[in-house]
Amino acid sequence: MKTIKSSVKFFIFILTGLILLITSNIVGELQVYQGSYVLTYGVAIASIVLLTGYSGQLSLGHSALMAVGAYAAAIATNTYGVTPGLAIVIAVLASIIFGYLLGSVVARLSGPYLAGTTLALAVSLPTLANQFSFMGGEQGLMFDVGTPPSRFGESFSLYKWFFWICAVAALVTLYFISNILSSRYGRMFKAMRDNQLAAQLAGINTSQLKIMAFSISSGMAGMAGGLMVMLISGVSPSAFPLSLSFLLLTGAVVTGVYSLKGVMLGGLVLVAMPEIADIIALNVGGSDRLTATLPGFLVSALLNLAVMFAPNGPGQLLNRSHLKKKLGKEINDQK
Amino acid sequence: MLKFLTTLLISLSTGAIYSLISIAIVLVWRSTRVINFAQVGQATASTYIGFEITTRTDNFWLGLLGAIFFGAALGAAIDRYFMRPLFKNIKTGPILMIAPVVATLGLLGLIESIIGFIWGLENKIFDAPVSTVGFTIGDTVIAFSPFNLLILISVAIMMIFFAILFQKTNVGLALRASAYSPEIASLSGIRVNSIRTLGWALAGGAGALAGMLFVPSASLYPTSMSVLLVFGFVSAVIGGLDSLFGAVAGAMILGFAINFAATYISSSLVFPMTFVMLILVLLFRPNGVFSIRKNRVDK
Repeated sequence: MKTIKSSVKFFIFILTGLILLITSNIVGELQVYQGSYVLTYGVAIASIVLLTGYSGQLSLGHSALMAVGAYAAAIATNTYGVTPGLAIVIAVLASIIFGYLLGSVVARLSGPYLAGTTLALAVSLPTLANQFSFMGGEQGLMFDVGTPPSRFGESFSLYKWFFWICAVAALVTLYFISNILSSRYGRMFKAMRDNQLAAQLAGINTSQLKIMAFSISSGMAGMAGGLMVMLISGVSPSAFPLSLSFLLLTGAVVTGVYSLKGVMLGGLVLVAMPEIADIIALNVGGSDRLTATLPGFLVSALLNLAVMFAPNGPGQLLNRSHLKKKLGKEINDQK
Repeated sequence: MLKFLTTLLISLSTGAIYSLISIAIVLVWRSTRVINFAQVGQATASTYIGFEITTRTDNFWLGLLGAIFFGAALGAAIDRYFMRPLFKNIKTGPILMIAPVVATLGLLGLIESIIGFIWGLENKIFDAPVSTVGFTIGDTVIAFSPFNLLILISVAIMMIFFAILFQKTNVGLALRASAYSPEIASLSGIRVNSIRTLGWALAGGAGALAGMLFVPSASLYPTSMSVLLVFGFVSAVIGGLDSLFGAVAGAMILGFAINFAATYISSSLVFPMTFVMLILVLLFRPNGVFSIRKNRVDK
């Protein structure tokens, strides 16, 4: 039974990949470029879902973790001349190591302490990059993925090449993560999140498990950082601001922080939001001020509405009546 | 020697501003067990109100008063109409832990974009009521100015106000009681919900004062106080998050550490050092540097 299920899952992932690649041939250049962003954000949001939704640790430092991946990729290509594909692998490895070290220090913290500490990390880590000359200081480092291979033909554009790389990277990562989350580790994460003491009594080493969640999540964030550095063809201390962390958290909360299913939708929301804001601002004939502030306003408003009315994800809104019935029954049972 | 003395005085005035934000964070934490990441957003909004009043009436003190009242009202409104319904909606489940953090972050974004829409994203020039040119000792002009002196005096007045409020009045007793044990406080007739809202209001007022004192020597734009969030939080953690005295002492420790490191080593060390201090405190003294208890905060 289990083997059939996982092979079906594998098939679905392959199918999604094919559909993505075919779509990239139909839509325009800009959409392809935006599509790469959707995939990159999706990977980053998945890393937050794993850490926050499954293992119950809230991080505001994912922009810093992405920066680690981005710098690792850029340094690997610039200083050591490795190929871009390998550079992304190095980005993942570097951020796994960084996440392991960070996790060993901060994983014992909980709730607001962890949030504040990772917030401080997100603010302080980019300023460190100014200190070292091999990180390129304020200007940062360039990252050139090179021209697409010639066997794809003349009409194969650079953006399409970006999209292909992002699609393959995102699908591989998500396949890997969804397998982890449906394994015993996923269940251990959930047990730890729901009741740490009970999980410990069941023989789970929670402090090790938390560090593990941090390392995996960090590796995925590093992957997203490596893809991001490719898309913006460089990295600088200001490329990964704290607001990026907030953005990713919004994407995760809005599409349901407890489920991996919504991550691509979250990426889509993050990419679409500025576009929607532009359209609204244009239609009401707004000033420059409105155009500049509306995207931030919409994202924050969406975050607040989500926390207020659908804290467990949008799926909650759909079967709310069902949920109420269930909860009411439980309360009656307790009486 | 002069350099040392100047750094000492500047540290005091930086620490004074940090301590206001850190007091605000501690007040909210004590009353609702929420770290209010929107605190600096509220403070910036209050500072813009103070700025408007100051430019219209040409009187900084009127602006300061307006800002403090607006900050207090905003804080109370956020608790009454945002946080209370939020906690009513979310009673159980793992979301309970992350919801307040996420909600206050969303609030911060909301406040910042509304400020940006009303006042624009560009820098506003906000002149200090007294000179920001340093005092002259002998022939040299030091970095410590009359405005820094004003900061120290205002913060001292605020501290005395809080000390009297908390130690000598019934309201202060109610505030302490509801922070210590909400259930017992409500059993003895204290309206815990109103007292919580009062805590948010006091925090909003303290934040507004911090903004009005911070901005004239820095600059005013929608996110101009974001750095204070980090420093305020770290100060509060150094002091143990639960005591007002700890908040002030933590802010002073941080102010001294940052300024001395910036003067004598390198100015780009400010953030990394803040982070390292935070980690060290959380690892070795998770209940604050003044705590004697050894147990970890793991609520």
